[in-house]
Amino acid sequence: MEHAAEHHGHAAPVGKTYVLARFETGEALVDACYKVREKGFESIDTHSPYPLHGGDEALGLGRSRVPRIALAGGLAGMFGGYLMMVYMNAWNWPINVGGRPPHAPPSFIPITFETTVLLCSLSIFFGLLVLMRLPQPYHAAFELEQFRSAVNDGFWLSVALPPGSDGKDAAALASQLGAKEVSTVKESVE
Amino acid sequence: MVEVGPTTITQDRLKPGGKTFSIAVGVGVVGLLLTAVGYAVGGADRPSILAGYLVAFAYWLGIAIAASIWNAIFHAAAARWMTVFRRVFESMGAAIPIFILLFLPIALGMPVLFPWVNPSNRMSHEQLHLLQHKALWLNVPGFLLRAAVYFAIWVVVNQLLRGWSLRQDREGGLEPTRRMRRYGSGALPFLGLSITFAAFDWLMSVDPFWFSTIFGAYYFTGSFLSCIALLTVITVLTRHEQRLFGGLVTRHHTHNLGKLMLAFTAFWTYIAFSQFMLIWIANIPEEASWYVVRMKGGWQSVGIFLIVTHFIIPFFTLLSRGLKFNPRGLAFVAVWILVVHWVDLNWLVFPALHPEGFYFHWTAITSMLGVGGFAIAFARWRAAGHFTLPVKDPYLADSLRYQQA
Repeated sequence: MEHAAEHHGHAAPVGKTYVLARFETGEALVDACYKVREKGFESIDTHSPYPLHGGDEALGLGRSRVPRIALAGGLAGMFGGYLMMVYMNAWNWPINVGGRPPHAPPSFIPITFETTVLLCSLSIFFGLLVLMRLPQPYHAAFELEQFRSAVNDGFWLSVALPPGSDGKDAAALASQLGAKEVSTVKESVE
Repeated sequence: MVEVGPTTITQDRLKPGGKTFSIAVGVGVVGLLLTAVGYAVGGADRPSILAGYLVAFAYWLGIAIAASIWNAIFHAAAARWMTVFRRVFESMGAAIPIFILLFLPIALGMPVLFPWVNPSNRMSHEQLHLLQHKALWLNVPGFLLRAAVYFAIWVVVNQLLRGWSLRQDREGGLEPTRRMRRYGSGALPFLGLSITFAAFDWLMSVDPFWFSTIFGAYYFTGSFLSCIALLTVITVLTRHEQRLFGGLVTRHHTHNLGKLMLAFTAFWTYIAFSQFMLIWIANIPEEASWYVVRMKGGWQSVGIFLIVTHFIIPFFTLLSRGLKFNPRGLAFVAVWILVVHWVDLNWLVFPALHPEGFYFHWTAITSMLGVGGFAIAFARWRAAGHFTLPVKDPYLADSLRYQQA
């Protein structure tokens, strides 16, 4: 008994439920996002083979944090690269190269540029992984075999359902908006 | 009334005449007259006055060629978002024929302007030998013949692309789109090479002893940037004209113009620094002389001014997304770029004539106004009677509802 109660107290993990709806075109998907949000479904996402024009706005997403991460990475690369060369060439081990001064800004700029671009792009890459919570080996949407078309020619809308909802309202709405197929999937909890 | 996809837009043809045209003609006539008066009484300043005219000529012609290149690039890339701007590029390019007329002072003034035409006995033995060596390229008939070839390329390319575009306005159909895409892609190598060699002939040979293979790209990037800056200014000025293209431009379109200005500000810096760094690091007399003149006295101040105003300020302001969504702010930066590009071209040409230090003559400004006035008036005259955007382009509907990913 005690054992069972303890199990209960942990609130047995409940898998999330999603309604997945496939649209024929990206435009139809973007239009549907606005309408679905109007009806009060806030937790929605799109899955498409390529970035959708106007997708951010349709999903009501705020400004991405990526530009700031990129700026921080770029500035770190810029100052890091330049100071590294000043330390090595002008302070730690000065060498006279063709009579040019040990601290020669013009010849430092190309490498400064490269380290700026390098750290900027690396910070975008890893920053995106973190923001998107990738790698994500499992997601409820993978339960649906047809969802594979999201990487090919399917434009999918997913609506995460609030606890206790059976998703019939969301599914009906999606069909009404012109979805070609609608399914409800449940996260498998092992 | 024009059907565009599922919607209907109402557009007017641009009326002939108008305020822009009258003002441009007035400014053009007054500007060139004052320049001519300045030249007549110029005395020893005559080479510099003509050089100021050359800068003005290169400035405005560069923008017109850059507009043709932008147009050709967008056709080659099958870009759809910019369809709303295409007629403006075509109209800017349509100004090119007037520059054949405006080229006359340069052609007639060659002996005054270019030291290689009549090598003077003040030149050193080595310099004379160098000019003899370069005479195969730098000779008067060759110079004029090449100018004719450049102009032929620019006029033909613009005539083809603009002609098919106007024809689509009248007849519709997909054939013009197919043609423009083919001609646009095919024209790019010709446009790129002709603007490069024109920069060698007209700007670089003012100092005939110096050479830089990247010089053409330098002139080209500045013109490219200024072309987008001018387009931004025109767009922002006409954004409330509901029956012209400006009324249909959205914040997504102007955001893209801001992004292009940012990209080409960076590209200008990249090219300018590449030229400087390679010459600085090699430190060979025949190459370094050009920078030696520009790294002392007043010219050094102009150079530092350019680093700050042509790179640092526009680059870091254009990084801001808020600014790119603010039409007035963006137009301000665009005007800024148009001004510093002129300073940049002056910095390319004048130190060759005045190695002793900073020099400025008031006719530089009247030349700019004169050539600019005539170029704008001519483009406006040719644009009259046509729509300000390609109304029957199959991708116009896509362009009008363009949103960024």
